[in-house]
Amino acid sequence: MENIILPNIPDLHKIDVYELHGGYKALRKALEMKPEEVTDEVKKSNLRGRGGACFPTGLKWTFMPKQTMKPKYLCVNGDESEPGTFKDRQIFEFNPHLLIEGTLIACYAMGIHTAYIYIRGEYGKWVKMMEKALADAYAKRYVGTQILGTGFSTEIVIHKGAGAYICGEESALMNSLEGERGYPRVKPPFPAQVGVWGCPTTINNVETISNVPHIINNGWEWYSKIGAPKHPGPILVGVSGHVNKPGVYEMPTGVPLLDIINKYAGGVIDGKSIKAVIPGGSSTPILRGDQLDGVCMDADSMKAAGSAVGTAGVIVMDEDTDLIQVLTRIAKFYYHESCGQCTPCREGTGWLWKIMKKFERSEARKEDIDLLLDIANNVEGNTICALGDAAAWPIQAMLRRFRDEFEKRVKPEIVRVETGAVA
Amino acid sequence: MAKITVDGQQYEVDPKLTVIQAAAQQGIEIPHFCWHPKLSVAGNCRMCLVEIEKMPKLAIACATQVADGMVVKTKSEKVINAREAVMEFLLINHPLDCPICDEAGECKLQDYSYKYSVGYSRFEHDKVHKPKRIELGPRVMLDVERCIMCSRCVRFSDEIAKQPVLTFTQRGDHVVLTTFPDTQLDNPYSMNVIELCPVGALTSRDFRFKSRVWEMSSTESVCNGCARGCNTNIWVRNNEVLRLTPRFNDDVNSYWMCDEGRLNTFKFVNSEKRLSGPFVKKNGALTRVGWDEAIAEAVSQLKTFKKSEMAGIGSAYATNEDNYVFQRLMKETIGTKNVDVVPHVKEGDEDDILIRADKTPNMLGATEVGVKPADGGLSLKGILQGIADGGIKALYVLEDDIASIPEIAAVLPNLQLLIVHSSVQNKTTEMADVVFSCSTYAEKHGTLTNFQGRVQRIRPAVSTIEQDRALDGFSMSRWDKFASRNDRWGRPNKRDARPSWRIASAVASALGAKTRYNTAEDVFQEMATRIPAYKGLSYLKVGSRGAMIQHSSKTVSSRPTVSV
Ligand SMILES: Cc1cc2nc3c(=O)[nH]c(=O)nc-3n(C[C@H](O)[C@H](O)[C@H](O)COP(=O)(O)O)c2cc1C
Ligand code: SF4
Ligand code: SF4
Repeated sequence: MENIILPNIPDLHKIDVYELHGGYKALRKALEMKPEEVTDEVKKSNLRGRGGACFPTGLKWTFMPKQTMKPKYLCVNGDESEPGTFKDRQIFEFNPHLLIEGTLIACYAMGIHTAYIYIRGEYGKWVKMMEKALADAYAKRYVGTQILGTGFSTEIVIHKGAGAYICGEESALMNSLEGERGYPRVKPPFPAQVGVWGCPTTINNVETISNVPHIINNGWEWYSKIGAPKHPGPILVGVSGHVNKPGVYEMPTGVPLLDIINKYAGGVIDGKSIKAVIPGGSSTPILRGDQLDGVCMDADSMKAAGSAVGTAGVIVMDEDTDLIQVLTRIAKFYYHESCGQCTPCREGTGWLWKIMKKFERSEARKEDIDLLLDIANNVEGNTICALGDAAAWPIQAMLRRFRDEFEKRVKPEIVRVETGAVA
Repeated sequence: MAKITVDGQQYEVDPKLTVIQAAAQQGIEIPHFCWHPKLSVAGNCRMCLVEIEKMPKLAIACATQVADGMVVKTKSEKVINAREAVMEFLLINHPLDCPICDEAGECKLQDYSYKYSVGYSRFEHDKVHKPKRIELGPRVMLDVERCIMCSRCVRFSDEIAKQPVLTFTQRGDHVVLTTFPDTQLDNPYSMNVIELCPVGALTSRDFRFKSRVWEMSSTESVCNGCARGCNTNIWVRNNEVLRLTPRFNDDVNSYWMCDEGRLNTFKFVNSEKRLSGPFVKKNGALTRVGWDEAIAEAVSQLKTFKKSEMAGIGSAYATNEDNYVFQRLMKETIGTKNVDVVPHVKEGDEDDILIRADKTPNMLGATEVGVKPADGGLSLKGILQGIADGGIKALYVLEDDIASIPEIAAVLPNLQLLIVHSSVQNKTTEMADVVFSCSTYAEKHGTLTNFQGRVQRIRPAVSTIEQDRALDGFSMSRWDKFASRNDRWGRPNKRDARPSWRIASAVASALGAKTRYNTAEDVFQEMATRIPAYKGLSYLKVGSRGAMIQHSSKTVSSRPTVSV
């Protein structure tokens, strides 16, 4: 299959080039449809969110109230901060108008007149690129009032984050947009009822939205046949770690992990064997190198293997990798990024990291293995947002699949031997 | 109505309630730190996690609305495990400095540690260190290490006091509560965050390190700072008032009181200026005498004036009982029609939260019980004019430093006789011929009527020489119970003072009146039969929360205006 999200067309980020290759045709087509028909098309396509949870996109759109006196909002989530994930950045850089076009279609479908594109603060360069593209789109009147001469108007606002992973969590993102501290909100109410500025809001990932123009252009039937039937479409897979050609690869869903590593990413450096793979960004459960046969990049297959697609950030670790060091670093990340609002995550993430450091220094005790698991279990499911879960899963999975690695780092017990003699 | 089951028991509850509210209404406490009935829901402490059938995860009771058929478990193994986990998490970075913490003894974290925690910790690392001894404002001190980030103080400042100056900075276990740059927590209600704070992170700069909680007794009372009459507790150690705290009354003050009332309405009780025993002016100097002598002196002097030459000024600070007996003394026994009360209103010093411009706790009560001119009698203005003209020669003043008002001070020297009830030495007592040392509001039983017409009880918290904490049914601290005479705290400073109603009643008896009252309650009972507005009321009915009078005055709004 040819790339459609990141096609190999030079200068596609320029609006004339984008138009030359059929750009903004989907918008034109959508505006001739009824908004419900657009939503229906997306629903039938089986597009599932690329922001981590694989949530059906069309279904999410139907949660937005039709009859409401309040304005409605769309937030396009480009906070992209999960370690191992760097795919939305490619869209900002190489196909920004696809994202803008998708945003406009989504707004039309849901009756939205303001969309925010929230981009992580560290992406300064890409914020500028998006701003340029948006200015061009405004100049050509694709965005703004009476788009393409129709009665439909939408403003798009680019918002730069201030450098916090938590602001990618949808409700923290909304608080951040409002100028508040990036604290996730207690749900319910869900964003479709009470979102930005207290109004109905939909949050979608950058890549999710970028799929929409293709669905409108080619129809749901075409789209739903790409890749894995229950989780179809093209997917951007970011491969990092011990591979010869790390990078972002577009492919249909359902590609075997081993193919991703060997065919797309050029295999493991120096032909070493794979010790472990984190398949979907740092929060997804780690898989053993000897468990990878038949595991494919789609929701069902990953679930069956005991992991998740997440944000399709594949981290490959070769036979020489110190997994305890890897996990310590991951634990440090979630500790550093916990917003500190709710008790189990605020206190638990730090504690987990402190114990992991003991393992890293080979100073842990045997009991620390169970303690680690117990703390992770006490965090999981008991927090306001899923960051708590994201901190717990890697630890639970590592303990499940690589318990021996922990055991090796336990400090030998010093046994006092009574000699009986008194000096 | 929604039918819900909590721990196997069925209840019918309002479907608009959350699980924690519905449970509370049924008397089931679901443990919580961040939830507060008068603040928005934050859901951050996770202490109220409960199991709800058909829900995949534990849910927080504070943010989960009840639904018909809902089955809630608050004591299942899963719930208990989660609670113990939350307690363990809360304690790992907590300094555990209870021995030097003011909050110890009234700390939710400490209480819950006994109730819901396993009693040991598995945490063996260095705790996170954070700023200590931070002056959040002029009256509140912060120790961030003790803070559990429940955000109650933040929400109170935003939502109730409407001074949004508090916020968190940093992340994870490094989160720090602080004020925004160039702001401080200095609103008129700032000290309420001290009780709201479930731990010892926020403490009173006035009360800090003064006493352990269990060394003090606490007595239900009413603030005398303004006509709101916020319900309070008076905290006493060794017969000295150390602090006031607000007491919940949804009809009057919710959970709050203002800083002014909290700090500036009790210190006179302990003051060096307190009078102990009555005084009579001899050769131009006030001289300490016995009660019998003072009463005899007052009576013999009063007898030398014509009824129309005498006047009485009641007190908007004294109780209904004091004012009632006083006006009977003046009108019935002495027989003057010239009775009134001095208002103390600070125009503009009020808000739509609690604070009232009328800075007395009992103005409405005083007039309702009869402290007003009888038919044809002189009002305050007339009385002052009369004193200036020489028509009024003798004045009897109840618990009010009227000489601190310059216009009044100017005419008082014209008087031939000035009798004063006062608990402290002040400008008025200095001019008086007879001074009766009277009990403060912290030393007697009685009632005050607030601006709404709500009659509220006060009770003795500090004992006078006549009283004994144990025998007279006072609230007792650990010290009160266990101190012996050789202990420093077993020899409290007690003053020779009597409630004004008793003094006035004794003067009336000496003048030949028949009625005698043994207790403030006797007085109240008589009021209830004689004053229409008090019909049917009793101390029992007034209880802890007060009761409305059927008032005649138009100035009273019958509905509580407090919106907090
Ligand atoms: C801690 C945390 C961080 C997240 N960060 C991102 C992010 O950077 N980008 C993103 O699209 N979704 C992120 N999410 C998921 C969002 O909350 C949300 O589910 C997603 O944006 C929805 O988009 P989708 O339905 O198109 O997948 C994060 C979630 C959590 C709990
Ligand atoms: S789970 Fe962690 S990140 Fe999410 S709200 Fe709680 S403390 Fe904040
Ligand atoms: S200072 Fe007290 S009330 Fe404020 S957040 Fe901390 S624990 Fe809660």
